[in-house]
Amino acid sequence: MPGSERKVAVVGMGGVFPCCSDLADFNDKLFSDKSLIREWGVALSHGKNIRSTVSGFITEAETGLKAVYSTLAEGYPETYIDTLGRIPDGNLATADLGSIWAMFGALDAIKMAGWNQSETQSEQTGVIVGSGGAGHVILRPAWHNFFELNRKSRVAGSHTVDRAMVYRDAANVSCLIKNKGVCESIGSACATGLGNIGYAYRLIKFGVQDRVIAGGVEGTSLETFIGFDAMQVLSRGFTPDESSRPFDVSRNGFVCSFGCGIVALEEYEQAKARGANILGVIDNYFNNSDGDGNMFFPSFAGQKRLWRGLMGNSTLRPDVVKVHGTSTPVGDSVELLSVVDVLGEDGYHISAPKSQFGHMLGAAGAVEFITALLMLKEQKVLPCLNSVTLNPELENFQRSDNWTGPQKPLAAYRNLIPQQGFAKDINNIVCLNYGFGGTNSAISVSNDRS
Amino acid sequence: MERQQVIDGLVDILKTIRTISPEKLTGITEDTDFVTDLNTPSTEMINIAAKAEQKFGVEFDDDDIDGLGSTVKDFVDLIIKAKERE
Repeated sequence: MPGSERKVAVVGMGGVFPCCSDLADFNDKLFSDKSLIREWGVALSHGKNIRSTVSGFITEAETGLKAVYSTLAEGYPETYIDTLGRIPDGNLATADLGSIWAMFGALDAIKMAGWNQSETQSEQTGVIVGSGGAGHVILRPAWHNFFELNRKSRVAGSHTVDRAMVYRDAANVSCLIKNKGVCESIGSACATGLGNIGYAYRLIKFGVQDRVIAGGVEGTSLETFIGFDAMQVLSRGFTPDESSRPFDVSRNGFVCSFGCGIVALEEYEQAKARGANILGVIDNYFNNSDGDGNMFFPSFAGQKRLWRGLMGNSTLRPDVVKVHGTSTPVGDSVELLSVVDVLGEDGYHISAPKSQFGHMLGAAGAVEFITALLMLKEQKVLPCLNSVTLNPELENFQRSDNWTGPQKPLAAYRNLIPQQGFAKDINNIVCLNYGFGGTNSAISVSNDRS
Repeated sequence: MERQQVIDGLVDILKTIRTISPEKLTGITEDTDFVTDLNTPSTEMINIAAKAEQKFGVEFDDDDIDGLGSTVKDFVDLIIKAKERE
């Protein structure tokens, strides 16, 4: 079949989610409108040196892992023990925490997909998994022992490279499942999770692979947290469950969270032929750049171009838009107004799952894609928790002479933004994610209509 | 230091190397080969050497480590040689 006619199905999913024992627990808590955000003791222990102390996180003990600390390098987690016996010790030895999560997610996704060993280990099976951070928990103590304590390089052992390299998550998954196809990572800041899934979609769509394990990871890292804390972009001053409040007028930053989302993608006809359970069919993926030279500020024009690229000539109209919705002051308002500008003022709903678990950075796009698949399955819209009051006044940038978007304040679009989840016929969801550097990504996923 | 004491100490170190199966650690002799008998990944050899430096209170020369063989005997010789240098 010519590449351009190939369709891509989602046939499996898995991951590691804040405060949740597994995917089923994640599903239950999400659709109960619960917040998965807690006070983070690791941040709290630094007292006044850190602004924000809330996070969507999961501890090593909660995931059945136990760190083994080096007797040579102070503070260095030499390896991890999987107390539930899911990952062989040899694979754990080459993995940082995020890579272990990626392996957990991959095993769950493959099990759900029903791929046999031959399919999993095929030349036509790829692994495309990326991470936002850089293996800080491995690098910091290793570098500290060398540079500050003047110890020999060998003191940190021989696994700092494989446990901290950029594509460590993909490499560890590949070594575990023994696929023989493509193994790479895509990095695009907070669009990483969706970017990896989008790239995987293209590999199948254009005939390069038949199956791909794809997703994003953000392993627990105080180093990552304090980077954003220093920028003063993290939420502060609310109780944990009220800290992430996309679109609410009092929002003051995002909640830095950690987790992992992995999906199994497969060429549609092949998946149907073997009787696979189709969780969703990807209609299209598109990504672009703002092109305005601004590292941080979101671009209304860039996001409109993103929609144009995604929709093309399609008549498909989303029932739900799963927004990036970080709970940052400018990001949310630009995003809402660009969605309204493209789709109009009614006929769809906006879901902001970061309101429930915070911003998982490199994992965000993948975990939130999983929330879209769960919405398709449950036929329920996930809420925008804490979006209590929308700004009744125009945003400052809307008053600019250069503004070409909607002329109404955010409060005019209250009807689009549910504060509680609710049941709805959902056939199509568009997922949006953006990242530093002006990168934008969007994917459209539908129920299997055949 | 007796050679058997060194072997026992090495086995204690090997128990902390999780890429080596614990069941392979019974009956270790000087002839045991880390690579062929214990399936030790080559990248772990430097970890074993670094842990041996700590356990036996010695410091190996880089040249000695670079030329190190893969048997337990090679490690025992290296440790005793370094111990004698102290």
